[in-house]
Amino acid sequence: MLYRDALNLALEHALEHDHRVVLLGEDVGFYGGNYKVTEGLYAKYGPKRVIDTPIAENSIVGTAVGMAMMGLRPVAEIMTANFSMLAMDQIVNQMPKLRYMSGGKVFLPLVVRMPQGVAKQLGSQHSQSLEHLFASIPGLYVLCASDAVSAYHVLLYAIRMDDPVLFLEHVLLYGVDFPFEPLEGFDPFRARILREGRDVTVVSYLKMTHDVLKASQWLEEREGISCEVIDLLSLRPIDFETIYGSVKKTKRLVVVYEAPKTLGLGAEVSARVSEELFYFLDAPPLRIAGEEVPIPYNRKLELMAIPTPEKVYAQIVQWGRRHGL
Amino acid sequence: MSFLHEVVFYTLTMSQTLAEKFYYLMKLGREFELRCKEEYLKGNISGFLHLAIGQEAVHVGAVVGFGKGDLFCPYREHVLALARGIEPKLIMAEMFGKVTGVSRGKGGSMHLYEPRLDFYGGNAIVAAHIPHAVGAGYARKLMGEKAGILCILGDGATNNGTFFESLNIASLWEVPVLFLCENNQYAIGTHVSRSSYLKDLFLKARDYMPSVQVDGMDVFEVYRAVIKAKEYIEEYGKPYFIEALTYRFEGHSMADKGDYRSPREIEMFKRRDPLELLLKRSLKEGWLTEEQVRLIDKKVERLVEESVEFAKNSPEPSEEELYSDLYCGVCSDVIP
Amino acid sequence: MDYEILMPQFSDTMEVGRVARWLKKEGDFVERGEVIAEIEAEKAVMELQSFKRGLLKRILVREGQEVPVGRPIALMELGERIEEVRRPTAPPTEERKAVPPPIEEAPKVVPTKPPERVELPSGFASPYARLLAKEMGLELEELQKEGRLPSPAHAKDVEGLLRERYFTPKALELLKEYELRAEDLIRALPDRKIDEDTLLAYVEREGIPKRLPVSSVQKSLISNLSKSFVLPHYHIYEVFDLSQIPWDKDITLTHWLIKIVGDAMQFFERLRALFKEDYYLLYPHSNVGVAMAVGEELYAPVIKEVNRKGLKEIAQEVRELKKKAEEGRLSLEELQGGTLTISNLGMFGIRSFDAVIPYGQVCIIAVGMQDEKGMAHITFTFDHRVVNGFHGALFVKHLKEKVLDRNYIRFLKKV
Ligand SMILES: Cc1ncc(C[n+]2csc(CCOP(=O)(O)OP(=O)(O)O)c2C)c(N)n1
Ligand SMILES: [Mg+2]
Repeated sequence: MLYRDALNLALEHALEHDHRVVLLGEDVGFYGGNYKVTEGLYAKYGPKRVIDTPIAENSIVGTAVGMAMMGLRPVAEIMTANFSMLAMDQIVNQMPKLRYMSGGKVFLPLVVRMPQGVAKQLGSQHSQSLEHLFASIPGLYVLCASDAVSAYHVLLYAIRMDDPVLFLEHVLLYGVDFPFEPLEGFDPFRARILREGRDVTVVSYLKMTHDVLKASQWLEEREGISCEVIDLLSLRPIDFETIYGSVKKTKRLVVVYEAPKTLGLGAEVSARVSEELFYFLDAPPLRIAGEEVPIPYNRKLELMAIPTPEKVYAQIVQWGRRHGL
Repeated sequence: MSFLHEVVFYTLTMSQTLAEKFYYLMKLGREFELRCKEEYLKGNISGFLHLAIGQEAVHVGAVVGFGKGDLFCPYREHVLALARGIEPKLIMAEMFGKVTGVSRGKGGSMHLYEPRLDFYGGNAIVAAHIPHAVGAGYARKLMGEKAGILCILGDGATNNGTFFESLNIASLWEVPVLFLCENNQYAIGTHVSRSSYLKDLFLKARDYMPSVQVDGMDVFEVYRAVIKAKEYIEEYGKPYFIEALTYRFEGHSMADKGDYRSPREIEMFKRRDPLELLLKRSLKEGWLTEEQVRLIDKKVERLVEESVEFAKNSPEPSEEELYSDLYCGVCSDVIP
Repeated sequence: MDYEILMPQFSDTMEVGRVARWLKKEGDFVERGEVIAEIEAEKAVMELQSFKRGLLKRILVREGQEVPVGRPIALMELGERIEEVRRPTAPPTEERKAVPPPIEEAPKVVPTKPPERVELPSGFASPYARLLAKEMGLELEELQKEGRLPSPAHAKDVEGLLRERYFTPKALELLKEYELRAEDLIRALPDRKIDEDTLLAYVEREGIPKRLPVSSVQKSLISNLSKSFVLPHYHIYEVFDLSQIPWDKDITLTHWLIKIVGDAMQFFERLRALFKEDYYLLYPHSNVGVAMAVGEELYAPVIKEVNRKGLKEIAQEVRELKKKAEEGRLSLEELQGGTLTISNLGMFGIRSFDAVIPYGQVCIIAVGMQDEKGMAHITFTFDHRVVNGFHGALFVKHLKEKVLDRNYIRFLKKV
């Protein structure tokens, strides 16, 4: 099942079973969504529950906050995370704070969905991974999904939650076909161990997880390095328990993410592991991440600016050689 | 002003040179973009490619009419850049991601910049460039310059808070900006009637500044309106708003088929293809001869061909380019 | 209860304030919003307004005195103005002292137990390598000076050294088989070099299981068995009189049965069939698999075109296949293409058993032990999707006749 279809399925399920669920966003209705995630839902549930909005990001999230305060369960779509920067007031000053400031009296059962990431030559303003900005805000839940199974379950879970959730998707995953089966008792706050291994714990999420899996395969075959691949579905809070458990076994940590290295999510994960498991480490934690530049248009430069399976492979080998792997 | 203005304007605009100029630029825009489409499908151009086919009269009429002054545009800016005089080959090379491109291969279709020609780019964030234009206008005025700023924006952008904020500030601060809204009736797949409470977009600005609506398929009409607006903002140093009614014949970008519009609707607008309207009228009125048209077509064809050759043969950026241009690393030597 | 007027916090950085001047005195009636005092804080003087109506009963802080934010500076008795207020007696100084401003509390230091110190041996090494060295009592720095450990050293190096030091090579191999960690053993058996015997003794004492890897052959067998076991199938149990078959060491009963079954299959096309959902693929020849145990594995190589081959040829081929299986040289070709397999456990004294059809085939014949009269229990398992009960029964009946057909047997013996 395509990633986008899994999201669609989750949205449809929610719309079908809870009349308080509404969708809103630019082009989500009649047009079916810029990435076709909401296709067919407008026809089925009508313009009152699948709402086309003007290009007004701050007001999209803002009105969704208001709807949620009154007991609706809005799922707002921001066309891409780049544009969510126009809604930062609502996302940072409002969504995470209202419940706290009201002493727990206000409920915000609200989801804001958006895709992010580097696709292909979309230029600096359309090619960003911004999860770390959101994941640093207490009061938000930041969830994401790397395949069809997680897309369906995590999104549905997010809609069921009575707290505000920011749900991240990756532009390059929409068209990917994944095996799909609905699971019982899915817990998005548990990181998934997608591959077991002895030598290195590699933490990743969204599209990078797939690059890491590919690199791990090569590492195993060509270098005999066995990677344990952890896929995070929740970026706030992060399931450190699973990460610690794995690092205690492998004694080595690598974090792979697409955003620029500085102050990215990997900085937090490596810092925590260094704090908690210093004496268990046989090598300094390694971050494999984007370069410190806006993403350029030229394809060659673009690929230089972000991690690729080849880079993940090469950097782990190099780092391993330096640090006794 | 008005009578005299009409007379002057009449002799001016109806001149043959003007028709020739319009035809050349619009034809160049049309052919250039059709070629972009072709190169995109060949894989030489990537990313988002927004074509202005159908909207050339607005772009050419506005830029030619405005003359000197800074230009701030959204991402659908190839024709605007061509009309401003940026060489086609530099634009094409940019879209090919080559280092010879106007933005050294780092910007792509949506981000053409040429400050030497007062061209301040295409911006990929809807409405983000509108306050830039207001700030730029303020700066020009403060520095005692007269030319004013031309800010092109889409119908979709007029629903954004930034737009209203900018209108307010521009009027409050008395900034010489011409806001030109190219109403092609759609923001991606959403028709203007489904996203805007006011259906006539020029009404949104009318309480702040002079605001008019023109036929954006008629290059002369756009030109005339822009000339008038330019005179106003130069004379009074205040903003002005024009809504030009137009239509895009292609999808929103190459990723969009545009099939949310009925074939009848598209057909209806294509019957008013701005390029054909101009050509027919010019031939009929004798502003252009068949021979002239043939020569222009030839020239355009050659230019477009050359631009693709140039782009193809240009080098890729070197690896150092990844980190160059991030900071300029210079300090002002004025402040002690 | 009197209402306390507190030293206000006029800014978020203000911590203390000084009462510059009281504008009301004790016994005055104060209206809401009236200024009662001037407070000086952070170099500025601000007015303190009353939020309440009432009688200013007592002033707690003298002019010029500095107190922290939040501390009461006066007491008010709330209520309406009563003209004949009780004249407040000038409060005695003692009484003032009776309501002393609470003493500033020193910040409490909660005594915690001294933090545990992690003492690691010196040397240039990863944290974990140092931890290992400590646990194992290695002098990292010394070893590095001697060149026995690299610098920086990692866990791998320390472990390597430990292994070399504490284990014989044979013992090291066993470590892997039993999935043991070297550190654990060194800890459990300190102060000696661990050889094979010590290790085995340890393993036995601790009841540690040995790791037996599942071979790829076994894995594919398991997956095929699980796939075919759930397919619709049935059994036919029969007792066969095999007394007429003159088998010996060279040409065994299995070889005979391969030939007889192979010939019989020629009369039953369903037994030469492969099931393909929408149709059957019928092979012209009889391709018969033979189940054979080789070491830990089970193989069932296929004798092709049994109907065209003589007994001797078949016997020869079975022996070759067996040899190949033992050497692990069986090709995929040799393992595929059968539609029926024979499994004979008679030589182990098994009287009767069922077998699972190899995935993709239609029948398996399980042959039990021959008794003294030459009788044997044979179980047929059929894939019901291909061979229904009627055909199955006919096939079994045909075979029963064939094994007793002396002319046929004599003929087979010749070729
Ligand atoms: C802030 C922001 N939100 C959303 C988008 C996605 N987007 C790109 S173009 C577009 C439609 C803009 O329509 P309009 O202003 O009418 O311009 P047109 O494309 O018709 O020229 C949208 C929604 C964006 N680029 N920026
Ligand atoms: Mg538009």
